[in-house]
Amino acid sequence: MLDTFREVHTPEGVALRLPAAGPVPRALAWLIDLGIRFLVLTVSAGLLGILGKTGIGLYFIGMFALLWAYPVVFEAMFDGQTPGKRALELRVVSADGAPVGWLASLVRNLLRTVDMLPVGYGFGLVASLSDPYGRRLGDMVADTLVVHAPRLRAAPQPPMAGVQAPAQPLQPQEQVAVIAFSERAAQLTPERQEELADIAEPVTGARGQPGVMRLLGISNWLLGRR
Amino acid sequence: MRQAHFVARHEREWEQFAHWLDKRADSPRGARAERGWQGLRDEDMPARYRRLCQQLALARRRGYSPVVTARLQELMQRGHNALYRPAPPRWRRALEFLVADFPRLVRAQRGCLWVSAALFVLSTVAMYCAVRWRPELVHSLFDPRQLAQFESMYDPAAPGAKLGRDSGSDLAMFGYYIANNIGIGFRTFAGGLLAGVGSLLVLVSNGVIMGAVAAHLQGIGHGGPFWRFVVGHSAPELSAIVVAGTAGLRLGLDLVAPGRRSRLDALVEGGKVGGKLCLGVLAMLLFAAFVEAFWSSIGSIPGPVKFAVGGLLWALVLGWLGWAGRGKDREGPAP
Repeated sequence: MLDTFREVHTPEGVALRLPAAGPVPRALAWLIDLGIRFLVLTVSAGLLGILGKTGIGLYFIGMFALLWAYPVVFEAMFDGQTPGKRALELRVVSADGAPVGWLASLVRNLLRTVDMLPVGYGFGLVASLSDPYGRRLGDMVADTLVVHAPRLRAAPQPPMAGVQAPAQPLQPQEQVAVIAFSERAAQLTPERQEELADIAEPVTGARGQPGVMRLLGISNWLLGRR
Repeated sequence: MRQAHFVARHEREWEQFAHWLDKRADSPRGARAERGWQGLRDEDMPARYRRLCQQLALARRRGYSPVVTARLQELMQRGHNALYRPAPPRWRRALEFLVADFPRLVRAQRGCLWVSAALFVLSTVAMYCAVRWRPELVHSLFDPRQLAQFESMYDPAAPGAKLGRDSGSDLAMFGYYIANNIGIGFRTFAGGLLAGVGSLLVLVSNGVIMGAVAAHLQGIGHGGPFWRFVVGHSAPELSAIVVAGTAGLRLGLDLVAPGRRSRLDALVEGGKVGGKLCLGVLAMLLFAAFVEAFWSSIGSIPGPVKFAVGGLLWALVLGWLGWAGRGKDREGPAP
């Protein structure tokens, strides 16, 4: 299997597809979080410097909170997303697809210490490359998973192009392909549309722009638009 | 049924469901407070969610396009998250945990607890005796600059000075103790994932350093201020390190000898126990940092008072870990 989907069957009998995230987007998210934490720490150091020795104490407490509490609080309170993960559309979920809880988030972030060994997340990288779902050691112990959670964008409406029955019956996969074409058509350049529609010439009986329009018509027919 | 008909038939239902998720799923408390809600009723949500699951299964079976299945999957996932999310933490539960569940959890791991305590105590005592016997051994652990720093921190010739520190106000040191000690506690647990070796190393190295410092200061006649400083916070701090070591050893043991469970299942279980123990360790070390910063450092309090308070704290901590929550043992199953 090339796909890194983890299929979880919910009690309702539906498969929940969790697209596991690999090390690269996760590392980028971590870098963003690191930058944010560094920025907050630097700014607060400047502000707390005014308070003198009291400020030093608050600075240490802030450092502790940023180091240990920052990921736990964000993951547990904001749907498994730290700001970095939000930027990269990643999400921490429990292995059964449910939202991650406080304890699981605490465990996976405590064990970050081990994943960071021996240098630069070495263990974590090896673990996530050898695991089918890209989990680092902390994820395995906490029974969690980092998944891609893209925000659903409103799909562009397929262009209206009349309704037309296909010249010959289509296999189910072919039907799916034709419908997928019509749904993606708005995102493609006209040249690419024609190029793709030309492949289906035996079905449409036309090439170029007329072929595109006929294929869209067939897709409308398949979708049941009248 | 063609896709367009399917969507047209159920569109309103899905919109209602999405609207409910937008408005009421995130905060049940806020939702309860809101009067005059017109949309989908809360009690109808599970039934509606199951219908949605069935529709998703149908849509997939019938090969409807990704636009429909992706939308349904997204709705279903959000519904799933709203239904199966963990309960929000409660203050009452936190108190129960500290008063009863945490000590019980510690006692439940008594094997690892004794090993962890033995390692820590033995390495401390052994190093103390070794340095008392051969004082020059301390130079193999610390360089002269560090030693001079220790000596100045507990100098009996500087009366009225703060004990146990060069400079810094109480609050500054409180922050420092929090950042440093709790970090050590957490790392002690995490090190357990390296087959327990990490926890072992932290326990032994902490014991060795403490034993050496204590013996050195005792040897050069700075013992009085030193013991007066450490006796106050030693109870919560040392027992917290031992408990963190217990959590780490538990995790290491689950990795090395999972028994009849799969290694991953054993690790998940060890992780849960360790996470809970770490919450308790966090509380203990916060308390220890408070005592260390605001009580232990007061130089003017006479020795007997300090030792009495230290002894009382030891009795309290050990009594708490040893007996708290015992009545509950008989009532119900362990958490």
